[in-house]
Amino acid sequence: MIKDITIGQYFPFNSVIHRLDPRTKLLFTIVFIVTVFLANNFVSLFFCMLLSAAVIGLSKIPVKTVMKGLKPILLIIVITSILQIAYVDSGIVLVDEWKIKITSGGILTAVFMTLRISLLIVMSTMLTYTTSPTSLTNGLDRMFAPLKKLGIDFHTVTMIMTIALRFIPTLIEEVDKIMSAQKSRGASFDQGNLMKRAKALIPLFIPLLFNSIRRAYELANAMTCRCYNGGKGKTTMNALKFSLRDYMSILVMAFLIGGIIVLNIFCGEYNAEFTFNLAV
Amino acid sequence: MSHLETQNLTYVYGEGTPFKITALDNVNIDIPKGEFVAIIGHTGSGKSTLVQHLNGLLKPTDGKIFLDGENIWQSKSKIFDTRFRVGLCFQYPEYQLFEETVYKDIAFGPTNMGLSKAEIDERVRNAAKYVGIPNDMLEKSPFDLSGGEKRRVAIAGVISMEPEILILDEPTSGLDPMGREHILALIKNYREQTGKTVIIVSHSMDDVARFATKVIVMNSSKVEMSGTVDEVFEKASRLREIGLSVPQITEIFIKLREKGYPVSEKIYTVEQGYLELKKLFEGRGIS
Repeated sequence: MIKDITIGQYFPFNSVIHRLDPRTKLLFTIVFIVTVFLANNFVSLFFCMLLSAAVIGLSKIPVKTVMKGLKPILLIIVITSILQIAYVDSGIVLVDEWKIKITSGGILTAVFMTLRISLLIVMSTMLTYTTSPTSLTNGLDRMFAPLKKLGIDFHTVTMIMTIALRFIPTLIEEVDKIMSAQKSRGASFDQGNLMKRAKALIPLFIPLLFNSIRRAYELANAMTCRCYNGGKGKTTMNALKFSLRDYMSILVMAFLIGGIIVLNIFCGEYNAEFTFNLAV
Repeated sequence: MSHLETQNLTYVYGEGTPFKITALDNVNIDIPKGEFVAIIGHTGSGKSTLVQHLNGLLKPTDGKIFLDGENIWQSKSKIFDTRFRVGLCFQYPEYQLFEETVYKDIAFGPTNMGLSKAEIDERVRNAAKYVGIPNDMLEKSPFDLSGGEKRRVAIAGVISMEPEILILDEPTSGLDPMGREHILALIKNYREQTGKTVIIVSHSMDDVARFATKVIVMNSSKVEMSGTVDEVFEKASRLREIGLSVPQITEIFIKLREKGYPVSEKIYTVEQGYLELKKLFEGRGIS
């Protein structure tokens, strides 16, 4: 159950995408998300799809694994699609019976939204698939370091993130252990109505909370013993450095934004009727 | 008669993924009623995985487990029943306490069994007596107790279900010598008074030699050997090969023998050693 969640997972392969500077990848993801929202017609969206396909190809991560990341949001996609089909009323009427009216515009909007959401999820999962949590937080740390001049200490935030990520597997293991121990005393976590199930979680969460607090104190002590005093004057062992491939990626980003703007102007705003006629 | 038995028990973690690990490989063990069984083995040899199968927490990938001749995976209710009949106490059980009072925590198991209030009360007080928890401690919060006390409360939480077989996974780990002696004494005492089967997973050969009547040695997911204490510790060289050892006192007697003293190598406890040395001294006219 818990092990099925792939968002936030990291697949250690050796590829160009993996070797990119985390800052580049972060920036790229942000730029990509913005452009996917900017894209207002199918041609522009197709352009984004081509780019993400190229990224997946370069990263050497199996397409099947990437698609698995879409599984948790399948429900959201289905619901949005149904809503779009039900509410959008434009283009050619395909079905009009009883209270159900399906139009070509509705279907196309549904397809458009599905593609858009999928692209967003795929590219954000690609970020975590190809970037280890440490290098990701390291990148964030460096990226937002200038904020210090404004009095915002972003280092604390990244340190919190690093610790949180580090303890996810530990907590999963612990949940497993406590569950087994309580099951040994006859507790059951998958029986009865909602109220009963919620109550059954008490023997799980109280020890979990208690142990987490205990562990937090221990970690704080261990950090203090190693003279941790926040980010002041802290240097990293593997300092981040931009290389040629990072500059190339920035070029690709510029190309992406430019391309989308041109395509948006050239192909006009997404118009259900027009696209449908084009397709037919 | 065999009480708890496994047949060709095999368990694979992460079947179908690249991280596949065979934790148990064709394990056949047979535990007769009333024995004090010790399971020993190197870290990662499959001891903990094995004990988690014995009360039906893990479902075997292959093979069967029989309790009194009945397959424990026969039906869902059978499994639930097995958890009460085979009480399993995990390693570091004190981290699983959760109730407001010690009393309520010990009562968790019996409550899940659906017993009457009077019955629960009796069982809680009985269990508390076995582990040496005084009455006034029963109303305290388990989080206010010391480490050793918490450990005893957690063990009482399993004993209170009055299981036919009590399994303890490394019950003395992380305790100071006095705490260890205390826990071992209470387990021994519990077994003598109730006559029930006890299985412990242990790293301490000295403890095993002192208490166990039967020893099962696990090595890389398989049962390496099993038998009485003498039968197992006889094979000192093989035990060393798989990263285990023999009791310290046995070590001394093996060395003495190497130096040419006419002593037996089959000395596993300090008491036996004392008698053997006494015999040696008396034989030489020293008292």
